[in-house]
Amino acid sequence: MTDAARTTTAPLAEPTARPRTVALRPFGLDGARTGPISAVTGFLLIAVWFLVSHYRLVTPLFLPAPGEVAAQFIAILEDGYAGATLGEHVSASLLRILAAALIAASLGIPLGLAMGLNRWAKGVLDTPIEFYWPLPPLAYLPLMIIWLGIGEVSKIALLTLAMFAPICLSAQAGLRSLPIERVNAALSLGATRWQLFRAIVLPSALPEILTGLRIAIGVGWSTLVAAELIAATRGIGFMIMSASHFLATDVVFVGIGIIAAWAFAFSYGMRLLESWLVPWKGKT
Amino acid sequence: MLRVQNASVFFPGRDGGVIHALDRASLDIDANSVVVALGASGCGKSTLLNAIAGFLPLSDGRITLDGQPVERPGADRGVVFQKDTLLPWKSVLDNVALGLDFAGLPLRERRDRAAELLRLVGLEGFAKSAPHELSGGMRQRVGIARALATDPKILLMDEPFGALDSLTREQMQELLIDVWARTGKRIFFITHSIEEALFLGTTVVVMSPRPGRIVARFDLDFVRRFAAERDVRAILSDPAFGDLHNRIRDLVHRPHHATVHRGETLQ
Ligand SMILES: Nc1ncnc2c1ncn2[C@@H]1O[C@H](COP(=O)(O)OP(=O)(O)OP(=O)(O)O)[C@@H](O)[C@H]1O
Ligand SMILES: [Mg+2]
Repeated sequence: MTDAARTTTAPLAEPTARPRTVALRPFGLDGARTGPISAVTGFLLIAVWFLVSHYRLVTPLFLPAPGEVAAQFIAILEDGYAGATLGEHVSASLLRILAAALIAASLGIPLGLAMGLNRWAKGVLDTPIEFYWPLPPLAYLPLMIIWLGIGEVSKIALLTLAMFAPICLSAQAGLRSLPIERVNAALSLGATRWQLFRAIVLPSALPEILTGLRIAIGVGWSTLVAAELIAATRGIGFMIMSASHFLATDVVFVGIGIIAAWAFAFSYGMRLLESWLVPWKGKT
Repeated sequence: MLRVQNASVFFPGRDGGVIHALDRASLDIDANSVVVALGASGCGKSTLLNAIAGFLPLSDGRITLDGQPVERPGADRGVVFQKDTLLPWKSVLDNVALGLDFAGLPLRERRDRAAELLRLVGLEGFAKSAPHELSGGMRQRVGIARALATDPKILLMDEPFGALDSLTREQMQELLIDVWARTGKRIFFITHSIEEALFLGTTVVVMSPRPGRIVARFDLDFVRRFAAERDVRAILSDPAFGDLHNRIRDLVHRPHHATVHRGETLQ
């Protein structure tokens, strides 16, 4: 027995409650709770709005009181606005953006993947995409109207074009981020080309594709409203535009609020989709 | 038998030059043997393995497996990579079953077989875990189980334990010997560690860089002894082990001055 071999044991504390669980310290926010802070901020903004209109710091023509906006919202809900019910305006807008998102995704994802895999696909499609996608969609809206008329087709086509590029580019980026070892591992497990694509390539690219889809939906909303401002007889954007002709600022506010609510719902839905489809994201 | 005959690989270098990564390497890997390639960084070990796996075409020479020329990757050669290549969206069990999925086995069967392999590598309790919940050593064990699942004719391992700490590494070496003794798989194994090479190999080939060459070959029996007696200390304290260790070290550090000649065999 040498001294060096002696060991000591600290007296064990009696376990009382469930032990404190811990996790790796994150970098950046990484899911830290921001909800309460955001809620308070929103509440403060509305309070400021109340005060400003209550003390008439700004003329109601520029900034209607919250109560007025709420009353106007209920009125529109009951009686509609500019020849259509609120439901018709909202569903017209939603239909356009959803149809366009569906078309853009079902073209953009396969074409983007093809461009990442095939020299010819990349070579041929790069030129038109690189040419058109930096253009602001409103610059070619007149063309869409001349070619496709003033109806739904031209607006859906415009939105599809605006949403296609980010989806297609993100699918390509997803392929570029695929590690070659992963491909080699699958091939030496006997994967055929199609199995490789389904089991390795597609899931590896999925996180990037979903990010692209999120960006596309943001682009979609801004393009949608702008297009409806210019050429439509239905839709939230149209509602806002016609209200502005009559200086009905409260209706404009109602329209903006509705768009904000829907855009928020969409991005929340995308987040749900992400946590459902790619729960492993960020965990190598 | 896996047979490498006069395999040469040239990579395109800078300024229009070429890099001679592998120079007329010849190697046979018989049934039930563990061939270990040992050498300094950049001597062409991975190049040789990638060629055997079918990831890299040869500039010259040929590789055959049971008489069939090797041209592409395939399930008859299982590969364990240094970097773990498990799929983060699949559970440990489904990762192991991946090759069986590709082979079209029904779900029940591939789950059963994968569970059996997890038992073989001592991870039966982690079937449902996600890969990122495992330690590096455990992930590497999953990698071995996955490579074994398709029952390949040979296991190719490129520094599979290189990223592990030395204690885990020793455990993994013993695990690999177990797996080898039980399945009788042929193994081609790459390492930087002389000790690991001596401990695992029935044959050790020493490689030297620029151009990558096999400069010596030793036939050993330490691994068979370990598999039979399971006594690490007896092997490590065997004077023959220390002797070889020194000679191979000289060879690795000064390949062109060493007194051992190409093709030397030692029982
Ligand atoms: N794709 C490549 N293009 C050009 N040169 C390459 C390429 N891959 C490897 N080399 C060169 O070929 C030589 C052998 O490389 P290899 O990766 O086979 O070495 P290694 O023995 O596996 O080394 P390490 O032990 O560091 O992994 C090196 O000099 C390397 O620079
Ligand atoms: Mg290497």
